[in-house]
Amino acid sequence: MLELRELVKHFPVPAGTPVRAVDGVSLNVAGGEFVALYGPSGSGKTTLLMLIAALLRPDAGSVLLDGRDISSLPDPEAARYRLHDLGFVRQTLNLMPGATALDNAALKLMGTDIGAREARRRIVPLLERLGLGERRSHRAEQLSMGERQRVMIARALSTEPKLLLADEPTGSLDSTRGREVLELLAQSCRERRVSVVLVTHDPQAASFADRVFALRDGRLVERESDRTGAVLKVG
Amino acid sequence: MKLSSIVRLYRVRLRARLTQELFAVLGIAIGVALLFASQVANTSLDGSVQRLSAGIVGDMRFQIAGRDARGFDAALLSQVSRLPHVQAIVPVIEQNANLVGGGGERSVDMIGTDPHLAHLGGSIAQHLGSVPPRGARVFAVPPAIAQDIGVFSARPVTVQIGSSSATALLVPQLLARGTGSLGESPVALAPLDLVQRLAGLPNRLTSIYVRSAPRFDRLVKAELERLAGGRLNVRSADITTRLFRRAAGPVDQSTGLFSALSALVGFLFAFNALMLTVPQRRSLIEDLRLDGYTRSMIVQVLALDALVLGVVASVLGLLLGDVLSVAVFSANPGYLSFAFPIGEQRIVTWQSVTFAVLSGMLAAGAGVLTPLRAEIAERRAGLLQLRARQSRPQSWWLLPTAGACLAGTTFILVAEPQAAIVGVVSLTLALLLCLPALLDLVIRASGRLQTLLSGAASYLAVIELRSRSNRPRSLAIAATGAIAVFGSVSIQGARDSLQRGLDASARAIDSGADIWVTPAGTANSLATMPFVDRVSASLAQLPGVREVRLYRSSFLDWGSRRIWVLAPPRTDSHPIAASQLLHDGDLPSATARLRGHGWVVVSQAIASEHHLHTGGTFTLPSTEPTSLRVAALSTNMGWPPGAIVLNADDYARAWASEQPSALQVELAPGASAVAVGREVKQAVGTGSALRVETLAERVRLHYGTASQGLSRLTQIRTLVLIAAVLAMAAAMGAMIWQRRVRLADMKVDGFSRLVLWRSLVWESAILLGLGCAVGAAFGAYGQVLLSRALSVVTGFPVIESSPLAPAASSFLLITAVAVGMVAVPGYVAARVRPAVGLPE
Repeated sequence: MLELRELVKHFPVPAGTPVRAVDGVSLNVAGGEFVALYGPSGSGKTTLLMLIAALLRPDAGSVLLDGRDISSLPDPEAARYRLHDLGFVRQTLNLMPGATALDNAALKLMGTDIGAREARRRIVPLLERLGLGERRSHRAEQLSMGERQRVMIARALSTEPKLLLADEPTGSLDSTRGREVLELLAQSCRERRVSVVLVTHDPQAASFADRVFALRDGRLVERESDRTGAVLKVG
Repeated sequence: MKLSSIVRLYRVRLRARLTQELFAVLGIAIGVALLFASQVANTSLDGSVQRLSAGIVGDMRFQIAGRDARGFDAALLSQVSRLPHVQAIVPVIEQNANLVGGGGERSVDMIGTDPHLAHLGGSIAQHLGSVPPRGARVFAVPPAIAQDIGVFSARPVTVQIGSSSATALLVPQLLARGTGSLGESPVALAPLDLVQRLAGLPNRLTSIYVRSAPRFDRLVKAELERLAGGRLNVRSADITTRLFRRAAGPVDQSTGLFSALSALVGFLFAFNALMLTVPQRRSLIEDLRLDGYTRSMIVQVLALDALVLGVVASVLGLLLGDVLSVAVFSANPGYLSFAFPIGEQRIVTWQSVTFAVLSGMLAAGAGVLTPLRAEIAERRAGLLQLRARQSRPQSWWLLPTAGACLAGTTFILVAEPQAAIVGVVSLTLALLLCLPALLDLVIRASGRLQTLLSGAASYLAVIELRSRSNRPRSLAIAATGAIAVFGSVSIQGARDSLQRGLDASARAIDSGADIWVTPAGTANSLATMPFVDRVSASLAQLPGVREVRLYRSSFLDWGSRRIWVLAPPRTDSHPIAASQLLHDGDLPSATARLRGHGWVVVSQAIASEHHLHTGGTFTLPSTEPTSLRVAALSTNMGWPPGAIVLNADDYARAWASEQPSALQVELAPGASAVAVGREVKQAVGTGSALRVETLAERVRLHYGTASQGLSRLTQIRTLVLIAAVLAMAAAMGAMIWQRRVRLADMKVDGFSRLVLWRSLVWESAILLGLGCAVGAAFGAYGQVLLSRALSVVTGFPVIESSPLAPAASSFLLITAVAVGMVAVPGYVAARVRPAVGLPE
């Protein structure tokens, strides 16, 4: 489903050696598979996600989704790809202040051609599935961090994407709430056969994945996971 | 993307940014209001004259007119009527009259014509159909004018024309209906013969309006010129409007320029307010991009923001502008009313509304789309954490461009002062382009100073100023202060220079006599109305009077200019002041020549238009066209279209009339002006149409008139200052308020409330002080530029003053007031509880 072929992305540094954020990464993710990329800060995790999301162009290599190369899409095509085929969950919980959970979750749907009323109608079951049915009329400021993250997941899944990218989704949460959110994320994606690429430096988060990879200095190394929260083997 | 989604997105986001949106609305509204009010003020003056002129001439094509108030023999009427292809004619006699009623007096343009011919003229002339026919001593004025002199129903009033005074029945009700085109125009409509009798000009007309058959205009005009014989003017019927536009041009230009400065401040106000919403909008744009919104979809979302903001702000701005145009920018005719019948009604044209609304929409669009522009520029660098890796914006071109703008301004100042507006724009650009570099310089200097002071407050202030995220807003705040002080110093300096010049001009002309005797009426403030002299001989006999001299003056239409002709007595030892001459060294020869025979001093503008030079000969198009020589070149004496000065004897020859327009009474040594003034008033008679003024009274009157004419500039400057102080204080206050969480963090780290407050005041003082100081420096240059433009382009008598004092006072005033205003929210913000900084 998702295939990364020898992806390379370097960032030039004035009067210095370029930063090798992504340095020859290859990866295959099957439909409905949950993959975790584990690594410390600055290891290139976010750059890799942005390459997959077509927010950055690689210096070399390609990103294929269902055989379609999205690494060289023109801007409007890349935007359509993100709108319909991709969901993106971030660590920073940038909900629209003043707007309700319902409106925040429906934001992505409003970008399609279905109109505001239909978008608000369609998002309700998903919010209920994520345990926000009772909180949908609450404004962003009235939601807890965990609830805000669930709103972001609802937004990401609202257009029924094939692939969901999650960038440190539990970074703002305590371990209990982080686990709840990850469980929901994993279940929701499994129910919808959505592939997930999760980026994290939290070993617990990596335990939800079918496969775990370590990213260090822009290079990818596969690890093993026992699905109980601990990474068994490094390298 | 459906419209309903765009609207929904707008609505759900509005709640959180309502306060900032209101700031933005207010900012744009102030800019729109200033633009709209000044537009209305200008079009009201133009429109008043235009409507009046059109109302009289209707579809008439030509006007054959006399060159003075005495006009020409009415026998010409029958000759004109017999010309081939002439379809219709309207005879008119027009005189300046002073109406005295129970509640006051008012100068009007008294228009007499034949009621039987009323239907041939325009909408105003048609009102004459309701005026009683020949022989009746009845006339009408617009109800508003009648009320000014305390007349609410038919009542006899005194009509003063020249030195004549008579009574006639004023019936305001005659013009009570359908006077839309008249409004508050200072005109009186009367039967032809009544005006002829009141003015003592039986069988005389001042003009005949002519309608030619289609396609025979040229033929009819040639025939009229043949009849005129070079002693009358043959012009298009709407000549008054054109003459007025020429006269009002400099005032319109200066008001327009200063209004543009006001609008710029208003825009910066709006920009400041919009900067408060930038973080939210940037965050929204990031989210939308991640979620797959295309750029055009994001533009649609933001465009609705701009549309709503622009529409609401423009509507509010129009309402505010309407109030301003009534309360502050009232259509004050000032000195132009001495030569043109200007009403005080407000005229709002669709062009004024459109211009103001478009400006408001543009400001809203520019402000709202700014974050999108930045976002597109940063697109390739990516989002999220990668922003930290961005290289700093390339701004190396700012200083060289600012230098080029300054060089351009200097070139305009030296070589092309007529392009002063371009000069002011390039100076403003230079100011704005310099600001980033100067801000960096000041921050570096503050950093050095901070190491000497070793204070926590100054340390925190410098840290905040160095923050890249604060930079756009810091620049906007400093720019607002800079533009405000720049505008204020430029406007006030140029105004002061002009006021000084006009005062000197008035003093020089008025000092020709100790006591002046002139026909009454504000429209005769420049003593331009001739009268039959029956009193000079008796005045000369009064004790305390050494001599009574005849002064002559009038307005003369020459080409597209209605020029002011001044003719002091030949014996006057100072017929012209040195300050009025363009070259001081000309004074002795100019004085000698004016006291000789056949010499005139001509304003530079007139000389340029007619290619005249000192020593050259030309023919003055007066009643008796006369050959004269140019003695020297002068300023315009404070009359925008220009002036000429000759001696009273040459004037009498050129106008074929011995009538004076003023009597100049010179006191005997030791005599009191006040006491002799009383004697003169008694001798003239209490019921006389002549007014007696001492030199001091007359100078005071003229100073007041000049000051009134310039009052709009002072009002604009005051509004600019108020708007700027509010803008800066509001923006700084809002920025400080948004920083409360960070302040709470610092409290957690142990910083005291006092230290935090002092750091906020430090930061504000540095930013506002920088902006105001830069504005003051550029404003001083702007004053020099504007003063030179006024002197060279418009020909006004400008006496330049040092720009340092107004620059320093504006800098201190605005900085102190704005910092003082910021200190209050700073104090409140510094009291934030430390707990606010701790997350859940």
